[in-house]
Amino acid sequence: MNAVKIAWRVTRLNFRSQLEYRTEFLLMVAIGAIWQVSVIVFATVLLTRFTGMGGWDSSDVLLIPATRMLAHGLFVLVLGRMHGIGRFIQEGQIDVYLLRPMPVHRQVQLQYFPTNAIGDLTVATGLMAGALSRSHLDWNAGRVTYLVVCLVGGMLLEAALFTAVASASLRFPTADYWSRWLEELLGTFGSYPLNVLPKAVGGFLTFGIPLAFVAYFPAAVLTGHGHDTGVPYWLAAASPLIGVLAYLASRLLWRWSLNHYTGVNG
Amino acid sequence: MIGSIEVRSLSRSFHTTVRRPGFTGALRSLVNPERAVKHAVSDISFDVAPGELLALLGPNGAGKSTTIKMLTGILTPTSGEARVAGVVPYEDRERNARNIGAVFGQRTQLWWDLPVRESFAILRDIYEVPGAEHAARLKEFDDILELSSFWDTRVRHLSLGQRVRCDLAAALLHDPPVVFLDEPTIGMDVVVKEQVREFLRHQVEQRGRTVLLTTHDMTEVERLAERVVLVNHGRLVLDGTLDEIRRKYGSTWQVRATLADAHTDVVPPPGITLLRQEGPQVVFGPDGPDAPTVHQALKAVIERYEVTGIAIDEADLEDVMRAAYVHAGPGAEGA
Amino acid sequence: MAVLHAWRAARVTPLGELHAPPRMTAVLVRLIVQVVLVASLWNGLYDRTTVSAGMSREQAVTYAVLAVLASRLRELDQYAGRDTVIQHMHFGTIVYWYLRPLSPARYHALRALGEQVYGAAWALAGYVVCLAAGVVQPPGSAAVGGVFVLSMLLGQLVLYHVMLLLDQMCFWTVRNSAAMLILIFAQNLMSGVYAPLWFFPAWFRTLSTFLPFQATLNVPLSLYVGRIELSDAPLQLAIQAGWVVLLHLFTRFLWRRAARRVISQGG
Repeated sequence: MNAVKIAWRVTRLNFRSQLEYRTEFLLMVAIGAIWQVSVIVFATVLLTRFTGMGGWDSSDVLLIPATRMLAHGLFVLVLGRMHGIGRFIQEGQIDVYLLRPMPVHRQVQLQYFPTNAIGDLTVATGLMAGALSRSHLDWNAGRVTYLVVCLVGGMLLEAALFTAVASASLRFPTADYWSRWLEELLGTFGSYPLNVLPKAVGGFLTFGIPLAFVAYFPAAVLTGHGHDTGVPYWLAAASPLIGVLAYLASRLLWRWSLNHYTGVNG
Repeated sequence: MIGSIEVRSLSRSFHTTVRRPGFTGALRSLVNPERAVKHAVSDISFDVAPGELLALLGPNGAGKSTTIKMLTGILTPTSGEARVAGVVPYEDRERNARNIGAVFGQRTQLWWDLPVRESFAILRDIYEVPGAEHAARLKEFDDILELSSFWDTRVRHLSLGQRVRCDLAAALLHDPPVVFLDEPTIGMDVVVKEQVREFLRHQVEQRGRTVLLTTHDMTEVERLAERVVLVNHGRLVLDGTLDEIRRKYGSTWQVRATLADAHTDVVPPPGITLLRQEGPQVVFGPDGPDAPTVHQALKAVIERYEVTGIAIDEADLEDVMRAAYVHAGPGAEGA
Repeated sequence: MAVLHAWRAARVTPLGELHAPPRMTAVLVRLIVQVVLVASLWNGLYDRTTVSAGMSREQAVTYAVLAVLASRLRELDQYAGRDTVIQHMHFGTIVYWYLRPLSPARYHALRALGEQVYGAAWALAGYVVCLAAGVVQPPGSAAVGGVFVLSMLLGQLVLYHVMLLLDQMCFWTVRNSAAMLILIFAQNLMSGVYAPLWFFPAWFRTLSTFLPFQATLNVPLSLYVGRIELSDAPLQLAIQAGWVVLLHLFTRFLWRRAARRVISQGG
């Protein structure tokens, strides 16, 4: 309970400190507008140009980017500080956290308030609303529940990927570079039905970098394309569970890496 | 004038935003920020002669760094004037840059990702130093600072002491007549500190460079500086030799005595004060304007107490500076 | 002598990379994976379509793969060297830029030049491999190739100034990493790195014509694949050149303001 109280207080302080930097805050608001328009344009542009992509109805396809972005927005809001932490680690800041009587992971998450998550979530919610309103599916309680569970699973999976990279950052200075690439991959390839890609490439995005589990598989299961995703139906349907497991595994990896942390710059 | 520094009525104030407390306060500051003026440096004047090493002293936040920034041309003064080697630094920054070298504490100017020697080469070409001269100077620096054992290492892998030694060398590679050092030995171990001091002494005595140094390390001041300038709250408090500071703020002598009986009730003779007492060890110093000379004090102590050992000391400079900082103005801390 | 310091400053990035083999491996792996992914995506998208937005499958794949290669020109790990403006502001080392007899603007330009030439070596090697593997088509004619090279050079100049603007922002706001990510996204989106601009709605392309981003990549790549006819090339090149001049004047103004800001605040 005390941990929650501290987390809440620090978050409030963080939000206030965002207000302290006047230019920065106003700039963020202004740039947020450009960002929102761009993202919606990008997410919809290919879907409208290539109707029937991968044998999917375009209203169904829209569900993929909507799920992806909403899961991403949640990730940025709740666990997003794991992303881009590499530079922070390289500057030796983690040493300070190791001295305090609070788990390092929690301290990292409480570093600052993610103002940009507000923008991300706004766009994602709009996109999701658009996708649902165009959808011809029957959105009964079961479907809605599954969608919500999948969003949480997607958030955890993305968090797991970045936590793994962050763990690597504790040892390798180059890991930060991979984290930015990972974000780009998630953004660009997380939004299409992956069956348009050759089998090997699709396999890479399923088992190599498991971004298929974030939005593609859940959307396929929801829209009745669950049997032609290239993986067994049960595996596609178990996406949220994969997210949970991946996240737990990544936290174990983080803890292990932290125990083997030897510091930077000697 | 080559190598001289002239500072005349130099002042610098900053505008800052006042942060209102609380959540609504933060929101109000966002919409309608309230400005305040802070005088970092007010009306400072002093001179440094060519080939002289001057220590600029003062508590944290006294205005030392601001002064150095104005003299290096990074900061323009609000009023007053400064000349460094005949150039007004903030008006002719690039010309001034060729005349000066600077090290700002732990901030490195070396290229993080490259071996140190590459950084030296970049600086050599930026300052247009002839190759032979560069090599000779590097050898001279290496003799004292022992750089060659690590100058093929990338900067990111250097220890603090190694990096600051490299930074010192980097700042002097283009043979500047004037050198500014803002807390150069902060955080270094005693061996490296001694090496850096020797290097600086060599640069002043053999190469005739003018050095302006800020530091909190009084040993350094005693070993290096004949003259010091003391600032506090942005104002110049004293410009003189170490002895003058000692006379003004410190006791001129200390008598350390070991009492035969540790339980003696120590009531010092008139004009003498008890500075410290630890068991049988007691330290006396002069008290007030009518304090006795060190000989009279010695006699008085021996007459009054039964002592098994006695010695005379010069006052500790740290004590003197503490007295000076406190004397120089109220609320010296956090100014 | 000026040539010497130019050479020294320009080679900082390549030298830093050569001293860090893991980083070079990372660049290589990323380049290969990204090319394979992008090529398969566009081939997959064209499975049921022959021409979309006025582009054939070959044109679209060539455009997309070249965009990946070209975006490597300046997408190195810029932070590793601790020589970005934002890091210098953060560590307080920006003062040294103003303590040297080499202007910060010139130093910044030299560093970027070295970085872009180094990136160009990567891109060129990638291009040769892709051409040999048949992933990208050769240019339609020698004239198209020549115009492309010219346009690409202008595009890189525009790109340099756009990136410089992002860097210069750091003089006014240190905590802009999130804003920078968003602007980099905008640059990638509106220059055609994510998808050829021709696929975007008309209003979006109209908007793009008023922004410098499309001049960095979309124009040269469209010339290369023939989506912009050779006869339209002079106009497009002129627009690119216009952007270079405009951005150059603006960034020069900002450099002066930045210097004034540094010397009024002390870095």
